Amino acid sequence: MNPSLVRKLPLVIAAAAALVLPFVVTSPTYLHILILLYLYAYLTTSWNIVGGFAGVLPLGHATFVGIGAYTSTVLSLQYGISPWIGMLVGALLSSLVGVLIGLPTFKMRGAYFALATIAFAEGIRVMVENIDYLGPFQLNGPRGLQIPPLKTGLASFMFATKEPYYYIILVMLAGVIALTYAISRSKLGYYLVAGGEEPEAAQALGINVARAKLIAMAMSSFLTAFAGTFWAQFTLYIHPKSVMSLDISFEIAFIALIGGRGSIAGPLLGALLLRPVSDFSRIYFGDKLPGLHLIIFGVVLILVMLYQPRGLQEPLTRIYNRAMDRMCGGREAAA
Amino acid sequence: MLFIIEDTINGILMGSIYGLAALGLTLIFGVLKVINFAHGSMLMVGMYVAYWAALLTGLHPYLTLVIVVPAMFLFGYLLQDVLIKPIFKAEKDVREPITVIIVTTGLWYILDNLSLLIFGPQYRTIPDNPLRGKMLEFGDMMISVPKLWGFCAAIVTALMVYAFLQKTRMGRAVRATSLDRDAASLQGINQYKIYNVAFGIGTAVAGVAGVALVPFYNIFPSVGVLFDIKCFIIVVLGGLGSIGGALLGGMIVGVIESVGPQFMTATWTEAIVYGLFLVFLFLKPSGLFGVKYDW
Repeated sequence: MNPSLVRKLPLVIAAAAALVLPFVVTSPTYLHILILLYLYAYLTTSWNIVGGFAGVLPLGHATFVGIGAYTSTVLSLQYGISPWIGMLVGALLSSLVGVLIGLPTFKMRGAYFALATIAFAEGIRVMVENIDYLGPFQLNGPRGLQIPPLKTGLASFMFATKEPYYYIILVMLAGVIALTYAISRSKLGYYLVAGGEEPEAAQALGINVARAKLIAMAMSSFLTAFAGTFWAQFTLYIHPKSVMSLDISFEIAFIALIGGRGSIAGPLLGALLLRPVSDFSRIYFGDKLPGLHLIIFGVVLILVMLYQPRGLQEPLTRIYNRAMDRMCGGREAAA
Repeated sequence: MLFIIEDTINGILMGSIYGLAALGLTLIFGVLKVINFAHGSMLMVGMYVAYWAALLTGLHPYLTLVIVVPAMFLFGYLLQDVLIKPIFKAEKDVREPITVIIVTTGLWYILDNLSLLIFGPQYRTIPDNPLRGKMLEFGDMMISVPKLWGFCAAIVTALMVYAFLQKTRMGRAVRATSLDRDAASLQGINQYKIYNVAFGIGTAVAGVAGVALVPFYNIFPSVGVLFDIKCFIIVVLGGLGSIGGALLGGMIVGVIESVGPQFMTATWTEAIVYGLFLVFLFLKPSGLFGVKYDW
């Protein structure tokens, strides 16, 4: 058997398992947990385009989730426009905001960039909390918007069961992974990594680092807004604290950093490891030990940063490769 | 007109306490060149230490300083020694290791949620507190007494830190390290020990701010978050690494917060502070008194 095929086999099996999972897992609670896991894997993979490849630390991605959620919801509530179209409009708007934030902030160094993204995100959240009507658009300030579950179906992006949501987010996740894979192999990907690691050297080679980062930011904020619309249609209720809070931004960054930023497997791995911790500790210890999962997050984050600064994907990829080598080697020897 | 003067004075007083909290942050930045994201949580820890010290020993809230300051110094010293030093050793050639931001963010989450776990979410205040709600009256103006004491604490602490940096041997070593850590090492200064000391002092200053807040502020696990982002804003306004800048930046934020609500909804003032912060980041990232080299 072709070794490169063997290497890919486990991934194919995992993808197939993800496809049939809803037939096995029928409990809505577990499906909900899986959907959130995919949602965060999606968010983190989108974040990774700018936070991973470009080597900066954006801590305000919740803004884009919020823009996506609010745009599609306002358009569907007030104008009866399908959330699918709203999703696209929201993504374009989010992309624009992302570029506007990126233009001045990408000039800043490490910590200043992180602080500026926090300030933007929090500033926008505070404004949304204070605005009931933005021109003709009703935002309802801190009370948020409720989406009445009137007609379900694919066209209205609303379903009575969780399975359709599961497949939608699965497709979104697969798409974003394919996209980041393509980026990591493209010129843009190399520009980003070069600009992130040695900006001066990259510039000396004629790379327009600022432009590459802006493109990455535009893509990342575009994709993140999709997740916002998904979130709004999934929960049918959004308010500034639920879709724009700093906690979301930090959780995305935590997942990426623990899994391994700048790699394709990292965000997936991070979500796979951290989301269940968060959900199960909330289910089983939520009343007795509040905040337990955040303590675990913090401890894991610190340990990973101290002992595996490139994230958990590195040792795990090494183990995976070694196991694959042994399997392939064994088979080739047998043949 | 009078109420604006009254608000301005109260804003300056409250702002000086913000500045006091930010002073610790700016001190740590000045030496280590990293932003301690857990600084608000340090303040929270300081408030809880002061609270329990006052409750268990029956000390006057301000006298808890004798417990809070050494405890917080030790806390900060050890944190830096155990958690942050390894990163500096691993990333020797990086001037501002971004990993430190991440580690201190992890610390922030651990400390906040640990105190939620241990002390519960309820708001606490010191029982039979002699200072609660005490006001000085000047004609029609009311000035809060605990805030006035906080103002004094901020000035005295800033002067003491300044004197330490300028007049003592250790202070000179701290300044040397903050200017050029490699050159300082070549002069025989143990830079890691200096980092520990700077982190310890910064944390102790956050503790002082905690003590200043305890008599009139609620104590709860996420109280640090309110101050965390405010401290970031203040140090950038004042210039990272500048002591006077931290106090002035704090006062600016304090005045906006206390005078602003006369003209708009109180929550909008928060947006104005963020806006001001961003304007400074773009136009003058070195802040009011910052060194150009440091940003």
